[in-house]
Amino acid sequence: MTDFIIETNQLCKSFKNKPALRGLDLRVPVGSIFGFLGRNGAGKTTTIKTLMGLLRSDSGDAHVFGIPVADADRAVEIRRRIGFVTEDKELYPYMTVEQLIRFTRPFYPQWRDDLERRYLEMFELPPKRKIPDLSKGMRSKLMLLLAISRGAELLILDEPTDGLDPVATEDLLRELVAIAASSETTMFFSSHQLSEVERIADHIGIIDRGRMIVTGSLDDMKLRYQRLQVVFANSVELPAHWADGVESVRQEGRVVSLLASHNVDSIVEQARSIPGTTVERFPVTLKEIFLEHTRSN
Amino acid sequence: MLWYKGWLETRYKLCMALGTMGLILFVQFSVRTTASVNSDAALFGALMVSIPSLVTMICAILAGAGVATQSSFRANKGLHGSMLFTLSLPVSRLRLLAVRASIGWLEGAGAMAALCCGLWLLLPSLRATVTAVEMFEYTGTLIACASALYFLSVLLATFLDDQWRVWGTMIGSAVLWWLFSHTPLPASANIFQAMGKSSPLIAHTIPWTAIAFSLGLAAVLFFAALKVVQAREY
Repeated sequence: MTDFIIETNQLCKSFKNKPALRGLDLRVPVGSIFGFLGRNGAGKTTTIKTLMGLLRSDSGDAHVFGIPVADADRAVEIRRRIGFVTEDKELYPYMTVEQLIRFTRPFYPQWRDDLERRYLEMFELPPKRKIPDLSKGMRSKLMLLLAISRGAELLILDEPTDGLDPVATEDLLRELVAIAASSETTMFFSSHQLSEVERIADHIGIIDRGRMIVTGSLDDMKLRYQRLQVVFANSVELPAHWADGVESVRQEGRVVSLLASHNVDSIVEQARSIPGTTVERFPVTLKEIFLEHTRSN
Repeated sequence: MLWYKGWLETRYKLCMALGTMGLILFVQFSVRTTASVNSDAALFGALMVSIPSLVTMICAILAGAGVATQSSFRANKGLHGSMLFTLSLPVSRLRLLAVRASIGWLEGAGAMAALCCGLWLLLPSLRATVTAVEMFEYTGTLIACASALYFLSVLLATFLDDQWRVWGTMIGSAVLWWLFSHTPLPASANIFQAMGKSSPLIAHTIPWTAIAFSLGLAAVLFFAALKVVQAREY
């Protein structure tokens, strides 16, 4: 197997001639917690469904555990090693919590009874209650229990905290980190909650209109990305071309705000070359990176 | 465990099929007792006409595709939510379809066997004219001939929601019945007649051609259903 647990190359998928994925290149390192971000309709769920073998790509290729997802025979093996939480958190309405656990357990030889008991208690899931009588938050918890207890090597979580209250979200995020740390499970999760992603992810990928626009280690990204505030002494004409690495420029009077993705020192030097300027550097949040890229794209 | 899921999914449908079957038989028996001119023989004749429709109804109720696991009124935008959970299990689509189809088929076979036992016990004139072996042969014929209708419903379940599937099965069965009576298809292959007037209860022979035709058609329909399930994107 390669260093990547998930790898896609130029993945394309259209629905009725409407492209959902346009040459997606995604690399998820083994053992990482990978936050998959994007606006509504950016292609997150299409990507996840393609990785799970629920959709077939039009072109390009996708591998999970080094196995091509298009190979229907081997896709069963992929699914045996994955814990999956669907976006809608829908489960069989005719089963109780207990019945659903009893139903799911035999499909996974690596099932962890200890984790099942632990999360049943932690999430306060009533074993005898029918699925339709559970709130959305409870269903999310149950899906997580089913995904985690599988002893999966890879957890694919589509909006895992959707419907959870802040306390449950906090507990869950802590647990996800603990699982990743203790069992070397790779986590690939999509979320709209950027603060959550920033807290637990070590790698991120931002998808927009079916293309990966930013990807990499979150720490590297935070080191590379900086906001520069340039204050000019007088009203001056801004350079027509900034040094390579400037992602966006915003001007309000004598103050110019630059978002730099790399090459920060050269940009600072360029700004300082204008007489009478002061330059300050600020760290950026994931939210800023996300908003800047999705807006400019 | 797919068997367990299938049973939980279909147990109320089985009750509904048995209940509807019981209700229809009850109505027919009630008509016999109130109309003095009718006899067991007349009732038997009426049953031979109504049994093919009854069997079609049982097939329409019990079939399913193994993927769509929620009743359609809970479905959203044509997709059943729990479908994604089912498809995320490490199970091939062939196995999903085969297990679900087998459960419904076995339940249908059980319902038809119960129907035949009921007729045998409730109609003394039937016991007088038909041997137990012939009744057993009739049960087998009924199950075999119903298989084509059942797998038609399984095929429809791969792309239609529950309520449309039931209607589709009824319409499909009617089309098949029409084809047998209005086209040069051999009468010996007529699966509806094999459940009625050409059945072992009346003709005292086993309608092998109809049985073979039905089982062949069932196999083709199952294969078509498998191809649809394997090709479909969810």
